[in-house]
Parts: sequence; C-alpha cells; structure tokens
Amino acid sequence: MYIETKGLKKSYGEGGSYVQVLKGVDIGINNGEICVIQGTSGSGKSTLLNCIGGLDTIDSGNVTVAGTSIEGLKGEKLSDYRRNNLGFIFQFYNLVPNLTVKENIQVCEYLTKTPLDMDELLDVLGLSEHKDKFPSQLSGGQQQRCAIARALIKNPKVLLCDEPTGALDSNTSRDILILLERINKQYGTTMLIVTHNNSIKNMVDHVIYLKDGMVHKDYFNEVKVPAKDLEDL
Amino acid sequence: MGKVFLRRAARDLKAGASRYLALSLLIGFSMFIVLSLMGSALTVIDYTKIRDDELRREDGEFTVFIPLTEGEIDEIESTGVTVDPMFYIDCEMSEGKILRVYKIRDDLNQMSIVEGAAPSTDEEVLLERRFAEVNGINPGDEITLGDETFTVSGIGATPDYNTVLRNFSDAVVDSASFGVLFVTEEKYDQMLSSGNYLSTEQYCYAYLLNDSMTDDELRELLEEYEIDPQDIQDEYFTEYWDRMTNQRDDLVEGIDELVEGVSELRDGASDLSNGAEELYDGVSELHDGISELNDNVPEFTDGIDELNDGASELMAGVQAYTDAVGQASEGAEQLAQGAALAGVPVDQQSLAAGFEAITAGGEELEAGVAALHDGTSELSDAAGELEDGVSELYDGSSELRDGAEELSDGASELNDGVNELYDGINEFSDEANDMIDDIFNVDTDNLISFITATENPRVDSAADDVQINLSASIIFGVLLIMLFAYVISVFIVHTIDKESPVIGALYSMGVKRSTLTLSYVAVPVLVCFLSGIIGTLVALYTPLGIPSQLQDTLNYFSMPVMEIKVSPFVVGYGLLIPPVTAFVINVLVIRKRLKATPLSLLRSEKKAAQGKQFNIRGLRFLDMFRVRQMVREGRSTMTVVLGLFLTLLIAFMALNTCVYCLKVKTNYADETKFEYMYTYKYPTEEVPEGGYEAVSEELKKTIYGYSFDVAVMGITPDNPFFDIGDVTLDSTNVAVSSSFAVKFDLDVGDEFNVSDKNGERLYAFRVASVVDFSASNMVFMDIDDCRDMFGEDDDYYNVVFSDHELDIESGRLYSTLSRSDLVKAGGIYVDQMMSMIIIMSVASAVMFVVVLYLMMKMMLDRSSFNISLVKIFGFRNREVRQMYLDGNLYIVAIGALLAIPVDKAVMDYIYPRYLISNVGVGIRPSYSPALYVAIFAVIMVLYLLINTVLVARIRKMDPAEVLKNRE
Repeated sequence: MYIETKGLKKSYGEGGSYVQVLKGVDIGINNGEICVIQGTSGSGKSTLLNCIGGLDTIDSGNVTVAGTSIEGLKGEKLSDYRRNNLGFIFQFYNLVPNLTVKENIQVCEYLTKTPLDMDELLDVLGLSEHKDKFPSQLSGGQQQRCAIARALIKNPKVLLCDEPTGALDSNTSRDILILLERINKQYGTTMLIVTHNNSIKNMVDHVIYLKDGMVHKDYFNEVKVPAKDLEDL
Repeated sequence: MGKVFLRRAARDLKAGASRYLALSLLIGFSMFIVLSLMGSALTVIDYTKIRDDELRREDGEFTVFIPLTEGEIDEIESTGVTVDPMFYIDCEMSEGKILRVYKIRDDLNQMSIVEGAAPSTDEEVLLERRFAEVNGINPGDEITLGDETFTVSGIGATPDYNTVLRNFSDAVVDSASFGVLFVTEEKYDQMLSSGNYLSTEQYCYAYLLNDSMTDDELRELLEEYEIDPQDIQDEYFTEYWDRMTNQRDDLVEGIDELVEGVSELRDGASDLSNGAEELYDGVSELHDGISELNDNVPEFTDGIDELNDGASELMAGVQAYTDAVGQASEGAEQLAQGAALAGVPVDQQSLAAGFEAITAGGEELEAGVAALHDGTSELSDAAGELEDGVSELYDGSSELRDGAEELSDGASELNDGVNELYDGINEFSDEANDMIDDIFNVDTDNLISFITATENPRVDSAADDVQINLSASIIFGVLLIMLFAYVISVFIVHTIDKESPVIGALYSMGVKRSTLTLSYVAVPVLVCFLSGIIGTLVALYTPLGIPSQLQDTLNYFSMPVMEIKVSPFVVGYGLLIPPVTAFVINVLVIRKRLKATPLSLLRSEKKAAQGKQFNIRGLRFLDMFRVRQMVREGRSTMTVVLGLFLTLLIAFMALNTCVYCLKVKTNYADETKFEYMYTYKYPTEEVPEGGYEAVSEELKKTIYGYSFDVAVMGITPDNPFFDIGDVTLDSTNVAVSSSFAVKFDLDVGDEFNVSDKNGERLYAFRVASVVDFSASNMVFMDIDDCRDMFGEDDDYYNVVFSDHELDIESGRLYSTLSRSDLVKAGGIYVDQMMSMIIIMSVASAVMFVVVLYLMMKMMLDRSSFNISLVKIFGFRNREVRQMYLDGNLYIVAIGALLAIPVDKAVMDYIYPRYLISNVGVGIRPSYSPALYVAIFAVIMVLYLLINTVLVARIRKMDPAEVLKNRE
C-alpha cells in the first residue's frame, strides 16, 4: 500500500470534553490512486487527512506514506516528511495575499530539487495569463488552481485535498476536479480527497466512508465517471 | 525562495508605507540624535587624545615661589621628565577684562592656531579662541592692554586651557571677562619689566613625565628644593613670611620659658619633698613623746587616786579624832563634874578651855582634811581628764604622724613626677623646636602648588564632559531602537495573525519555520536598516548632526574647530544596531507565534481563543466589551505602555536636566547670602573690617568614580551667611551644604569620611545639620575646632565672607567669588542645556504620539471587520468609539499614573550616577506637584488629539467595503 493506516486512533480533549474522533482506522491506498474520504460532519475525515499529512498527532496506530512511517516524527523531520512527500489543497486556498500567482507557486518550487516545469504547470492549470496577478485579482476557481499549482510544483507523491471545491460554485468545482483528474493521469500523483460532495466519489478509484471514527465502507469503483460528466457538484 | 519572500517584504513595506514611513522617520530621527551625540563625543575624545600627543599636553603643572635653578631643572630632566616654564602675568584690558599673558610656546602645551598666525613681532598677539569669539575679536583687530596696543595675529587654543578657568576653583567659565594671550618672548619680558600687570609673575611649570616617574615622585622631588625666603619678591609673601617667622620666635621663646618654669618647679618640688621628710621626722618624735606621756599618765592618775583615798581616810581619821575629842571633852566634863562632886578640884575652866581648844583644833583639822579631800578628789577628776586628754593627744599625734608620712611620700612622688616632667619638657622642647623648624621650613620649600592633568579642571574637560553624552546615547539608542522594533513587531504579529491559515498552509507543504521567520523579520530589519542609514548619513554628513553637537562643545570649551571623525564605531552603531536589534526583537516575538502547529495556524485557533478569556459579572455590555477589547489587544496595549515608559523616561531626562539647571540658577541666587568670598593666599594679620573670617581646608571625596573637592569651612558663630540651625558644631558634628548632602546622599545623623588631597588621611564627621547652599560642597564646623583639626594658629584664617566688597589687595588672594559671579554661573547651565532640553522634550512627545497613534490605529484596523459589522447592526459612531477606542483612555491614564512615578524614580537613580556624575554640584531635581500634574495633563492631551484623529477614521469606515474584503 502506498498510503496505509493501521489501528489509527485520535482523540481530543479531556474529561467531559473528551472526544474519540478516530477509533482505529485501517485503510490502504495504492500508488497513483485517487481516493475520496467521505462521511458526515464529525465522522473524522478531516482528522484522518490531517493525521496522514502529519499536521496532527496520533494517539496510537501507525501511518505510512510511500514507505515512510510518521510515527515518532517531530519538528524538522515532520517538515521534511511533508516537504518530500505531500502537497496540500485547502478549501480556502490559503494563498499569500501579497505574492503573485507565480510567486505563490515559487514559494513551494524551492522546496524540492526536482520541481515540475513552472510554465508547463501554469499552462496545464490555465494560469499562464494570470501568473502576475495577486490572489485578490483572481476568481475563487483561479485561486484554487493557483493553490493546486503551488501544491503540485514540487511534484509531490501524494496530494491531500481538504474540501477542494467546498468554496466553489458547481462549474468551477467541475473545472477543478477535471484538473485533478488530469494531473493524476499526467503525473501519477496519488490523491486523497476529503469532501462532502457526494458526486465526487464517482470519479475516483477508491471510496472510503467514515462513520463515528471508523471505516464504515471501503470500496473501489469498478466504473469511474469522468469529472467532466459529474452532476450535482 | 528568498527572493520571493523579499519581494513579499517589499510589498508589505509598500502596503504599510505611511506607518513604516512614520516609524522610519522616528528611528532615523532617533539615530540621528544618538549618532550626533555619539559622533560628537567620539570626535572630541579622539581629537583630545590626538591633540594631547601632538601638542605635547602636560601631565601636570606646578608653581614655585622663585624660578627653579638650572641645576634643579637639570636634575629633574635627568630623570627623563620634561619641564617647561609657563610663566604668566595677568593684565587688565578695558572694562575689567583680564588677559593672562604667556610667552608663545614651542615644547609643552603648544598652541593650535585656529585662525591667522602666531605672533611674529612684538606688536602681535595670539588670542585664545573663546575669549576672541565672545568678545567679537578677529585676526587683524587691535586690542589694548594697559597703555599698549596689540594686533591680533591669530586665534588659537592650548590643551592646558581646554576650559578657560581663571582659577582652578572657579565654578564656571566666563570668557567674556577672562582669556589667555600669547606674545613673543621679548614682548613678555618687556611687559614684565614695565610692571604694568595686576599681580606678580607666577612661576608655573608644565611637566611631561615620559613614563620615567610618577606624579607623586616628582612632587616629592620638588618638595626637596628649598629657597631663601628673602629671594621671594612677592610683597605679600614677604609680609606673611615675616609674620610667620615672628610667630616662630614667639613659639621658641615660649617653649624656653616653659622649660625654665618646669626647672624651677623641679627645684621647688625637691625642697618640698625634703621639708615633708623633715616634718615627718619631727612629728614622729613628737608622737613618741606623747606616746610616753600616754604610757605614764595612768601611773600619775593612780597616785592621785591613792592620794585621794589617803585624804578620805585622813578625813575619816580626823572625824574619828574629832569625835573622840568630843567624847573626851564630854568625858572630861563629866570627870570634872564627878571630880567636883567628888571634890577633886578640877580646874574646870581650864579643862573646858583646853578641850575647846582641842575641839576647835580638831574642827580646823577636819575642815583642813575635808579641804584636802576635796582637793585630792578634784585632782583625781583632773587626772582622769588628763588621762583622756593625753590619750586623745596620742591618737592625734598618731594621725599627725601618718599624715606627715603621707605628705612625705606625696612630696617624694611629686618630686619624682616633677623630675619626669622636667625630663619630658626638655624632650618636648627639643621636639617642639624640631617641629617648629619643620613647620616653618614648609614655607622655605619652593613648591607652592602641584596639580596633575587628571585633577586639573582646565585640562581635557571637554572630553570628560562628552563622555556622559557618549554613554547616554549608546544606552538610549538601543532602548529607542528596541521600542520601535517592538512597535514594528506588533504590526508583524498582526500580519501573522491575519495570515495564520496561509502560514499553516505553507507549513503543511513543508516550508520551514526558519524560512518564514526570516521572511517576516525582513521588513522590520529592512525598515530599521534603512532608517539607520538615513539617521547615520544625516548625523555624519549634515550640519544638523555632529557639527551642531560639536558646536555646543565649542561654545564652552576652548578648542580648535575639529575635523569630524567618522568613527567605525559610530558607523557600525548606526548601520548595525537598528537592524540587529530589530532582528533580535522580532525573532523573539515572531518565533512564538510561528511555533504553533500547522493545524492550529490553519484553524486560526489563537484568534478564536482570545475572545473568550474574559467574563466579569455585573459589568455592563459596553464596559465588558472594552475590557475584552483591551485584553484582545494586549500586545498593542503593552506596546503603548512600554512606549509611554520609554518616551517618558526621555522626557524625564530632559525635565530633570531642566529642573536641575533652573534650580542651579535659582538656588545660587537665593541661597548665596554673602556678596563676596575672598580666599587668601597670604592673609593679613587682622581680619578686614566688615568681613567674617573663616578657615578653609580643601579635602576630597569620591563618588561614582569622580573625586570632588570638599571645602571644610571653619566659621565663626556670628557668621550670618550660613544658617546652621539650632545645633552645636564641634570637630565631629558638622553642618554640610545642601550641595554636599545631595551629591553624597547624606542626611542628618549620617556619618561620612573625607580625605586629604593625597588620600593619606581620612577625616570622619557626622552630619548635624544641612545648610541651604547649593553652590559648593562645604562642610561647616566651628572655626576654633577647624583650626585645631588642621593645626592652625588661634587667629588663623584664609577665607573672608562679606556682604559688601572689601578693599583687599588682589596679590593676597587666591580667588574672589562674588554672589553675582555665582548667579551668572548658575544661569550658564540653563543657557547651555536649554536647546538639548527642548529637543529631548519634543522628541519624546513626538515618539509617544507616533507610537500611540500607530498602536491605536492598528487596534482599529484589526477590528475593522467587527466595526463595520456593529455599524451594520446599528451602533452609532459614538458607541463604536466607546467600544473600540475609549478603552485606551484608561490604558493611557493608568499607564501614565504608573509610568510617571516609576520613570521618575528610575531617572532619579540614573541621573546622578551616569548623567551628571562628573558635575560637582549636588542638587536634587525634584518636581513640584504642579509639574507632575502638568506632565499627566500633557500625556492626556496628546492622547485626546490622537483619539480625535482616530474618531474621524472610525467615521470613514464603510461597512459594505469592509464586508466585501472578507474571504
């Protein structure tokens, strides 16, 4: 498995406010796979993503990404783990407001010795003509594409997407999903997408459904719907 | 990545241009002031060092009664010491101005020509710079000394008159009336021979030790050179010498008389001892006689008693006899009658007559025996009394003998004592004569005075003076940069809070904290660096900077115009301290913020938590809101208070200086009760009429690394110029001047020490009272105690105070200090410092305003979304102001109430220790309550001004616009 969690447990709070969010999650995701994690609010899907991304600590169990276990990683080593393996896409883009599109991407370009070609990436993401614009001059979709470009520039092994279309309208969401699909094919990037959107599960290889901190369903789509054909986004 | 973040920093800078510009100006201004002071100080210090070497500044100087002989000079110079004569005369110019005339110099203390040239003819003179400047004299001008006119060929300065004091004891420079003049050697000799000068020529020598001996060793050598007082030309010295030698004769004569008296006493005591011994012998013999008498008296009384008993018995026998005679008479009568009856013829008549005669005889015998008995009885009583009397006589004679014995012993001891006294007096006489020889021999030493360059207030005083500027500017520079860097860090933290999710996102991509820290630190470092460059350039290369500060020095000290020394330290300070301080402060502040986990940054957890920190029951909504707002803006609040503390500290430095200078001015005028204080070199025998004599002895006391002269002043009880209060002064309990008490932090009851000039002897005193007198460090004691303490004669004095000018020949005096001189001197402090006081006060106010404005504005900006929201809800501008702005009123008011006493205490601690530690006058820069109120009022007025400006900003906040900018 390219991404694997075993007996992953995560809780928050103490005493009366104690909440066991993940209660022993076992999942396995193959290299080059697009996987969607779904679930109701509070089911633990974002927590799972954060744990895999090394953004949150785990109580017990183990997470392995591309052969690297994050158990015991702290500080700089955890940064290196993220730097070498992961790209993140967030619901609210989180772009540096006073850097242009290109500069925002350049921020992560320097994190690797083997970045993707900037111009090609801008071209692929349809940002070439916006590369010198600031985030505030872009639409939501353009900003999210910029965020994707920023995540991809360092050619990560895994792309972790937390509600990537959560702040976008239907058409823009589709454009973003088409883009992700294309990137997956073009660069072979493994993708883990956390989403509320029920339609997205149809375009991916692997669907994991969490309920009350446990894997409720874990299946592979036999037939995938291309992103451009998704409905109800 | 660095380039990208640098671009980002540049855009941050552009976005906050007005804010950063204001801060840049403040930082630049601060650095400008700091570096100007620092550069000026270093220029003066460096120049002094270089000049001292180049111009061969003296290591010290000494004056002598008569010029050293060639042999003496050779002897001194053979040790490696250089000695150069600096003889001078004081000549009077017009309007009472005094010029000290020297020959032009070519070895020690050389002249540096500021303008023009050294005199080349006898008609030319070189004039000291400050005198020329103050009196508007330029090269080519003519000046008149006495009846001679000279052309000023040049203006210059010498290292031995860096501070142009006429006397070492002068409180302040008065260049309007005193200066130094240099003429050719020939002209000097000519002026000397003309006799047209104020007092006798002073034989002063400058020396350079050349590391061959110490100052003390040179002084000891000089003290070995003796002179014949008759060689000294000074008429006042001669008079003084004669008086002193007469006193010597009186002393020697007195001691001789004392020896003679004691010799006579010894003879008398010897006679007394012998007499007492004889008396004892006589009394002993008398006692022996009485003792014998005493022994024999009982036998005598026993005999008398026996006699008395015999008389008693005799009387009884006589009685029996007379009785028997009576019976015999009766028997004879009866016999006669019987015979008659019997007829025996009996001549009864004859018989009767016979018996009558016998009876009569018997009665007489009885009477006689009775009288005998009475006599023996009385004799017996008398013998008893005699016995008692002799016994008492014996006791008395015993006591008399004992007394005589004691008298004899006492007389013997007295004799021994007197013999010892005699021996002692003889020794005393020998030693006293030696001592008198020693004492009176002092004045036969040629040396009058000896002062090292370090102790000399005329030498290198500019460098000493600016040393304080240097220390203060280094410290305040760093403090100010810290404040401004912290202000910037508040903005950066604001940005970080705003960009928290972005930072979290970058972290999640693997961007490291150090990279982000550097990116955020770039702006403050850049701002501070650029401001530092601007401040440095303005300070170093414009007339407003170092030249302006140097001018302050040149306005008081006599130095040539100095070439500004661009010291690597100043440049380094200006270019490095701002960015380095900004880097350190911001890294410390930012690092904590960036330490949060990527997830907490992504979730902006910190921001969410801040609003929940406070909940005080019973507080109405608006008040509660204000409290929360203040807590939420804790960092800005802290910056405001910190800024207030720091800027107020600067203001207090200015105010302390202002109050100090003003108090010098007013205290000198108010507390100086005498009009003239004359310090004698050669006092007259009688105190001048109208003067109050005093004895002054110069001692030393050290504090904060500086040694100050302390005048122990013995004053008469009727001296009306110093109010010692209702205390009795003696050699231990003394009154001190308020200047001394403040300078050395003494109060009534405290004990203190002062040392003599060489630090070899300590004098301990206790403060009995404090006299209001700020112009000098004085210790007051009774004049007689003072004379005793310093071994002076009963009629000695060397200072005279008076309430009017006295007619005293100037040649007798070391110095004359008038009240008007003191008042003028006091005013000079104010004149000199006022520009600095104003600059510092204004600068501190501007800094406070900018810091407060920026912080309050930032608080508003941070709350802009909330403000627009509450506006949408229907809150009026007044209510919005109350919610978001008015809380600062309490912060500023409470901050001021805390900062004012704390800063005052801090400044009062710093001020005497670091800022005026080299100033001899001790005056407490205490503020009146009104001044404290005024300071508080100024702070509140400044706050209200800023508040008014920001209220306008609140009004301009468009709710819709703010909402549009939301994510």
